[in-house]
Amino acid sequence: MFASAALSNSTSMSEEGSASSETRAHDFNSLISFLTPTSPSQHLQQSQAKGKKKRSQPGNPDPDAEVVALSPKTLIATNRFVCEICNKGFQRDQNLQLHRRGHNLPWKLRQRSSKEGVRKRVYVCPEPSCVHHHPSRALGDLTGIKKHFSRKHGEKKWKCDKCSKRYAVHSDWKAHVKTCGTREYRCDCGTLFSRKDSFVTHKAFCDALAEESAKLLTTSSSSTTTTITTNPLILDHPFFPFSSLDPTIFTNPNPNPNLNYNPHPPPLLRPYAFHLATTEAAAAAAPPHLSATSLLQRASAVGPIITGAASCHVGCADFDAGGLATWHAGDRLTRDFLGVVAGEEAPGGVRDLLPLTCLDLVTAPHYCAQVGDHTCTNPVSETWGNC
Amino acid sequence: MASKKFCKQQSGRRNMQSSPPYHLRASTSSLSSLDDMCSAKEWALSALQECARAISDNDSAKMHHLLWMLNEFGSPYGDVEERLASHFLQALFSKATDLGDSRHNMLVSLAHKNHSFDTMKRVILKFQEVSPWTTFGHVSSNGAILETLEGEPKIHIVDISNTYCTQWPTFLEALASRDGEVPHVRLTVVAMEIMEGSTVKEMSRRMKRFARLMRVPFEFNVVSVALELCELKEEEIEIREDEAVAVNCVGTLRRVSIGERSSFIRLLRRLRPRIVTIAEEEADFTNTRGDFVRCFEECLRFYALLFEMLEESFETTSNERLVLERECSRSILGVIACDKGGGGECERREKGSQWSARLEECFSPTKFSDDVEDDVRALSRRCRAGWSVVAAEGRASGLYLAWKGEPVVWASAWKPQNEVSEVSESYRNLM
Repeated sequence: MFASAALSNSTSMSEEGSASSETRAHDFNSLISFLTPTSPSQHLQQSQAKGKKKRSQPGNPDPDAEVVALSPKTLIATNRFVCEICNKGFQRDQNLQLHRRGHNLPWKLRQRSSKEGVRKRVYVCPEPSCVHHHPSRALGDLTGIKKHFSRKHGEKKWKCDKCSKRYAVHSDWKAHVKTCGTREYRCDCGTLFSRKDSFVTHKAFCDALAEESAKLLTTSSSSTTTTITTNPLILDHPFFPFSSLDPTIFTNPNPNPNLNYNPHPPPLLRPYAFHLATTEAAAAAAPPHLSATSLLQRASAVGPIITGAASCHVGCADFDAGGLATWHAGDRLTRDFLGVVAGEEAPGGVRDLLPLTCLDLVTAPHYCAQVGDHTCTNPVSETWGNC
Repeated sequence: MASKKFCKQQSGRRNMQSSPPYHLRASTSSLSSLDDMCSAKEWALSALQECARAISDNDSAKMHHLLWMLNEFGSPYGDVEERLASHFLQALFSKATDLGDSRHNMLVSLAHKNHSFDTMKRVILKFQEVSPWTTFGHVSSNGAILETLEGEPKIHIVDISNTYCTQWPTFLEALASRDGEVPHVRLTVVAMEIMEGSTVKEMSRRMKRFARLMRVPFEFNVVSVALELCELKEEEIEIREDEAVAVNCVGTLRRVSIGERSSFIRLLRRLRPRIVTIAEEEADFTNTRGDFVRCFEECLRFYALLFEMLEESFETTSNERLVLERECSRSILGVIACDKGGGGECERREKGSQWSARLEECFSPTKFSDDVEDDVRALSRRCRAGWSVVAAEGRASGLYLAWKGEPVVWASAWKPQNEVSEVSESYRNLM
């Protein structure tokens, strides 16, 4: 059985060129150690036998499939399709076939060697420490394993110009460059940012985090503007004998003394904003393995809902169910986000939010009707229930 | 008034490309040809310089005439030249009447009163949004610190900066996002008493809260220093044995009295940092201290760049810009009209090459990595056009942020001298 596996490998991999031939010898030996007893795969078979054939999750391969282990060199090679006549390399098989036509081959050689009885192949990652190294977590697609290997274990050669984020796979880089700078981050206070660094810095200093939400309900910036605008009066007037008698010097020429870089949300919106702050708090308190970036991103992902809810009072079709679906984070993690150590009850903390959340239920009935659909099975709904 | 008509005509954007740099343009005009000047900008700058010369030469009549004309022309709410004229007029007037020190003190206490945390926070955040002036130093320093201290389980950052801790959120976020264990971070902020107590409390609260959000174990300490930074004592900064120290100085080296600068650098060395990151504005008000006219010209050159940058970065009716310009005004007064024995309040800046010469006594320069350089270049591209990053050459090391080709901010990183031998010594002891 092993011998035939090695043979079928060699015939179907001929188009990949001579580079892989030495790897096949290695692979033959390693294949022996790879092919494990069938008990885990039996289990897989049973679960997959139930319904129609659907796409399996990555890294849960078809147990009947043949396991192939390619070398790192093969995985990162581009132009793996090589013309046997002139040895020119191509990235895609179709391109190679097009090229072969140009060689005017006699009819027999034109046909590619038929692929009889070739079983589905799955691929394992050559990196021993990788989770996809084991055959039971092999990936089903050659392109997939190549990209995985580059992403996880490869050198990050492609770099974004704007944010200098690095990528190993060219298509990943291309996809990022398309969206980089176009992505918007929204803070709890309503301000929109196109740059992550401004967003991060703002968020650290913003007064509108969930635990500070009491401040949202009070007026914000008007008091501080007056201190700036009265400065010139103190500064210029008593000192200069040369001061012109022109009184216009002493008036503030700025037509708009209202220094609001936060858009003032309409009163109806404020309870939303707060309510969504708690939503965002729960959403952001994701499972522990989630990165800091995603903590911030979740904050922004829920952001657009604020305007959505405000602008369409009926229907709310653009309600982001996906965002709310992340609510299944437990209560402990919510508190963690709010700054309470897991297991302890802080003096402020979740309790203080409850009276205000009740306020939301009263003032935003149609909104809560939407929310009710999503939260009936949620542990977080207990917070609501306590009102 | 003829001069007023001038400024009305010169509204709107001028094509900066065709004009020669300020320091060349203004120096050659004379008093008699003032009325022939074809642009208000040239007039204003040359009038200011002429006035400085008149003060230096003790030419009372000329000085009075120019002060009067500048007063008519200048306005803190006008275009760049009008603003420059207004603020430099204040400085020249104070110099002429020997009232510099008292006026400076008055401005300091005024700032103290009016600059609440909320105000300064809003001003600096807005400034950072529209211009890379301060974030250039932040990005380069954070990059260097992150790279140097990678793998360290405990980090202690001694922050002596004038940017109200706005550097640290992105630092903490980067720490939390990168692969590997998140280190324990201690941040010791050296606060000068010009920063009032409530400001420090607010900074502390925000940083701690944000670190919690980022899930970075965090400690925040403050060391207060009275007026002069050189009063800082290293015992006040508690350095623990098991931590890796980074010293970060953004915009504050200039607040050390000129005579104490070498001593201050030695103090930094005694903190045993693994890396020292510096960001300073590129101007020389130190070596020019003895020559009033030269110092004035350098001051005018630098602040003309700064004011022009502010005009092009902010919206016309920006209050934040006004606050920043008032800060500049006080600085200008400090340089032109005060000396206070070279005291730190005058904020006598030095150029990168000069700081480098001082730092080389205790430290060796370390080049920013390619990644950090890419990051600052990307930063300079994100803002409105006009910014670029230039590598330092010659005596200075590090990078410059340049506005329209002129270097304005200098950033560099330094490691203690003889560091390699120290490390290998301790390894040998372990074996």
